[in-house]
Amino acid sequence: MIDYRARFRTNLMIAGCGLAAFAVVPFVANSGLMFLAGLVAINIVFGLSWNLLFSGAGLLSFGHAMFFGGGAYAMAVVSLRMPEVPFVIGLALGAACGGLIALLFGIIALRRASGVYFAVLTLAFSELVHILITKTTFLGRNDGLVGIRRPVIDLGVFSIDLTSATSYYYFIIVVMALVAMMLWCFQNSPAGRLIQAIRQDMTRTAFLGVHVQVWQLTAFVLSGSIAAFCGAVMVPFTQIASPEIAYWTVSTQPILFTLLGGAGYFWGPAVGAILFGTIDFGTRTMQGLSEITVGILLLAVVLMIPGGLLGLLKRRRKKARRMAEGSSPAQHEQSGKTEAGQ
Amino acid sequence: MLYDIGLTVFNGLAWAMATFLVAAGLTLIFGILHILNFAHGGFFMIGAYVSYSLMTGMGGSLPLWLYLVGAMLAGLVVGLLGWAVDALVFRRLRDVEDAYSLIATYALLLVCGGAVQLIWGLNYLGVTPPPALNSVVFVGNVFMPTFTIFIILCGVLAYIGLELFISRTQLGQLIRVVAADPWMAQLLGLNVKRIYLITVIFSFAMAGVAGALLMPNQSLSPELGGIFLLQAFGVVIVGGMGSIRGAFLGALLLGLIESFGTYFFPQYPGIFFLLALAIILLVKPEGIMGKEQTA
Repeated sequence: MIDYRARFRTNLMIAGCGLAAFAVVPFVANSGLMFLAGLVAINIVFGLSWNLLFSGAGLLSFGHAMFFGGGAYAMAVVSLRMPEVPFVIGLALGAACGGLIALLFGIIALRRASGVYFAVLTLAFSELVHILITKTTFLGRNDGLVGIRRPVIDLGVFSIDLTSATSYYYFIIVVMALVAMMLWCFQNSPAGRLIQAIRQDMTRTAFLGVHVQVWQLTAFVLSGSIAAFCGAVMVPFTQIASPEIAYWTVSTQPILFTLLGGAGYFWGPAVGAILFGTIDFGTRTMQGLSEITVGILLLAVVLMIPGGLLGLLKRRRKKARRMAEGSSPAQHEQSGKTEAGQ
Repeated sequence: MLYDIGLTVFNGLAWAMATFLVAAGLTLIFGILHILNFAHGGFFMIGAYVSYSLMTGMGGSLPLWLYLVGAMLAGLVVGLLGWAVDALVFRRLRDVEDAYSLIATYALLLVCGGAVQLIWGLNYLGVTPPPALNSVVFVGNVFMPTFTIFIILCGVLAYIGLELFISRTQLGQLIRVVAADPWMAQLLGLNVKRIYLITVIFSFAMAGVAGALLMPNQSLSPELGGIFLLQAFGVVIVGGMGSIRGAFLGALLLGLIESFGTYFFPQYPGIFFLLALAIILLVKPEGIMGKEQTA
């Protein structure tokens, strides 16, 4: 029997510590670094949403940019063209937009394609969305939509002013921590467990009377809405929605985060996103160096340390403990992949 | 009207053959090693940049034969890189899940893109085709750049050459044997590892030559790999993963759909082959040459 309550407390604590660490950033760093940290916070949840699909449902998506971009553009359109719509509704619309795209494409893609085909199909769809954005005047074509204002959330009794970058930064990290915990709860709910069962053995789960494709579609739509939500939250922060955020290189970002951090761990994408942000920042003066570093790291992860950074840490710790206890080295080392959702 | 149809077909053929040049190596690797190689786009790009350096190093506007020699040299360089990639990466991907090997090749693509940025910088570069190919021909009243005709010819020749190589030569037949059943081939005493290596080098060399051939008239930028890669992916998948004939037919089909689509809806270039790809995959997920696997 797994003690979910204890696990929940542990993970809540991890999220809380992360939140605290991010909250300190504006006090110790300049506004440029704070901006970067805000993007990293968004990327963490973007990565988590992708890993929900990959480690959760076993679906490799190369098209998450279409959700991220969809949410971002929905938010941009709402705030520029319909300023009377409250900000929170705009966020919800953004997430819904991603969910809708996911539903539409999921129905088509999941019926036939699987594995590599599914990956390439999502890539093609996402490129379709990107091209449509660059050719649509309403969405600003190649120039994107600029001049998006940060909101003031009116709660009737009092209002929260998010117009400064710092206050919006705090809004981002709090919301992202909440969404991350929500995702954790979903992955450890009966529905989340069921989706993982499908990944582990599709045929057997189908024999239990589970409608496999409906659950895969559910995971796809949920993942798409969360990714879109991330896009929607980002737009007022950067104050621009440009077509690049729907380009396929954005789709590969959550893949990088997840694999670098460790796909088998719930917080893997978070570790990866922070690492990626650090590498990007550290190599910002040398064009191309960050791609090479990330590429080589990613290759190393796939070829040598399949558990990612967290897998490496765990193995180290186990080894150290074994050395301390002096027990036999024949004990199985569990691979990170089987422990999804811890 | 007739004029428009002629021009549209011509444009479709140009798209198809340029894409086929890239897709040929991609489908070969998939057919033999069952790896969908994202990095193909990266090595295609490296081929283009190497040939750019060779051409500008020799003084820009070159005679046709030197341009072809340059393309072969670029192919050689990229083929050698393929050797390194096989030894360092592909050989280790045999027992890795599909999803992970796809991601590994994407990592390679990143490395390629980064290397190109480090060596050649971010600026757009470009050269004109050799003078012999830098004119136009009128067939009827359809306007045809000779360089485009040259690319179409290259695509057709590459296809015929590959078909002959795979079906007629001993090496080609060995490759087919390994593709069909590597385990059995091993039992029969074939050096499967060597066949894999040869396939990879050959496929990479093709990527390099394709990059060099297509380089004039392109603006070279580190994003170049991605554009052709997506088209080539589409062609390989529509053709039925691993089939050269399928890739050729798939290229023609998607090229014509794309150019007719763009003719009727000129405000949306680049989406019709994607739409067609999605529809074809839904109706026939195994591709148009699905059953007849490999080469």
